[in-house]
Amino acid sequence: MLTFGYRKLQLMPSESASGATLHIIIAVMNFLACLTLGAVLTLSDIASGWSRGLSASMTVQLAVTDQISAEDQTDAAMRVLQSWPGILRARALSREEAASLLEPWLGQGNVLQDLPVPQLIEVQIKSGEKVDTQALRAALGAVPGATLDDHKHWNEELSGFARSALGVGWAVLGLITLATLAVIVFATQAGLNVHRDIVEVVHMIGAKDVFIAREYERHFLWLGLRGGLIGLMLSLVTLMGAAWIWDRAAGPGSSAFTPHIMASPWHLLWLILVPLASAAIATLTARMTVLRVIGRMP
Amino acid sequence: MRYGMGPEVLRDVSFSLEAGSLQLLTGPSGAGKTTLLRLLYLAEHQTRGLISLFGKDISTLSKAETPMLRRKIGVVFQDFRLIEHLTVYENVALPRKIAQEDERLYRAEVEELLEWVGLGQRQNAKPATLSGGEKQRVAIARAVVAKPDLLLADEPTGNVDPEIGERILRLFLELNRLGTCVMIATHDQNILDRVNARVFRLGEGRLTMLPPKPQHLAF
Ligand SMILES: Nc1ncnc2c1ncn2[C@@H]1O[C@H](COP(=O)(O)OP(=O)(O)O)[C@@H](O)[C@H]1O
Ligand SMILES: [Mg+2]
Repeated sequence: MLTFGYRKLQLMPSESASGATLHIIIAVMNFLACLTLGAVLTLSDIASGWSRGLSASMTVQLAVTDQISAEDQTDAAMRVLQSWPGILRARALSREEAASLLEPWLGQGNVLQDLPVPQLIEVQIKSGEKVDTQALRAALGAVPGATLDDHKHWNEELSGFARSALGVGWAVLGLITLATLAVIVFATQAGLNVHRDIVEVVHMIGAKDVFIAREYERHFLWLGLRGGLIGLMLSLVTLMGAAWIWDRAAGPGSSAFTPHIMASPWHLLWLILVPLASAAIATLTARMTVLRVIGRMP
Repeated sequence: MRYGMGPEVLRDVSFSLEAGSLQLLTGPSGAGKTTLLRLLYLAEHQTRGLISLFGKDISTLSKAETPMLRRKIGVVFQDFRLIEHLTVYENVALPRKIAQEDERLYRAEVEELLEWVGLGQRQNAKPATLSGGEKQRVAIARAVVAKPDLLLADEPTGNVDPEIGERILRLFLELNRLGTCVMIATHDQNILDRVNARVFRLGEGRLTMLPPKPQHLAF
């Protein structure tokens, strides 16, 4: 920047109405970008958490059958499972646990006494290991009424949903970036037009293009950063408010399922990158626009 | 040289300027004086023909060389082109600032130059508060502050009364004596009569050269 003592040669008005308008636009863009990024991060956390949980376990269902007594059926299945490579632990659910799982559908009461409820075996897989489900299914074929559910169907469904939601999130972020670029290009060109006479004189006197561009870069660096920080602050307030409302609505005890929007410090770090990216985008865009416009001057 | 699809403004123009020489450029209004100067200070590209400055064909100048070449040329624009929100001092110091010189190196020089053009008391004034003659002198001071090798002045006495015109003229002659090649575009008969210099006359796109008239004395 050209400074004479403490004074600056300002090629751009700093306190103009367009300055305020631009700040609002950039702040809103950053706000939307932070919200979208927050949603994307939370969603991918939740999705991978679910998916991890689902692929870390399997369920064996033992249907009630005439061919074998329930005890023998459970023992036979447990024998197969306990010696199977890759399986950490297999545990037959007690009737009370089965009842609590079914409670939402069947209601409380002594329903189970009267109903033939299948025995469930919860199978935990050693972390990082894969179980040959095909062979296991074949081995369990020897136990009448036994079926293996490896949650594959659910897993695919979930990751498909997560992938498309994440895709939408990234696309929205891309659009926000594009709109920001367009606004910066427009504002830079407007600034150059308003101060065309000054830019021309400075150009004719022998200023290098990058010297003139630096004036604009500095202006837009601060614009991008200030707008970005305002947007970030607003988005943090919004995200925390949303988390709080969610927590209250979900009620106590269900916090395990609540997606903690602000839970991970990594999320915060990513969000802090948004205003920095905004400043970088604004600076580079202004620079390229100025160089392009001045480059066309003789 | 032509503007856009317009008629050819300059057609048959060929000359060379010696280092440290003095010349006047004359011709009726609309003859192309400003156009010729604009070509010389690289504000226009010629549509055909060859221009070389300081031994370099300007059509082969790179993006990096152009500003460096411009810094060797001081220009007094016909309409001054002062920067309104800067003070007189800042306007005049601008070329040195753009050359990224340290202000401590030129501050005294700029102040001395402002004294010399009679603006010592108006250093902190904004151009809007100056008279036409004062603006003219600021423009001239800015054109010469970086000690250019070539000074191009477009109608430098066009907007001022004869007395100031004379002072400005003296200033140019002084600079020329110090070694700057000077070219003044003017149709001021007073200057043409009183300055002992080569005269370039433009008319109908052609340039004719008149030798200096030895019987006239310079200031
Ligand atoms: N920017 C321009 N675009 C189109 N025509 C121009 C432009 N500048 C000058 N001209 C034309 O070129 C001719 C020479 O103009 P100019 O160089 O300003 O003459 P002078 O300075 O001798 O009065 C005139 O006919 C003028 O109309
Ligand atoms: Mg003219």
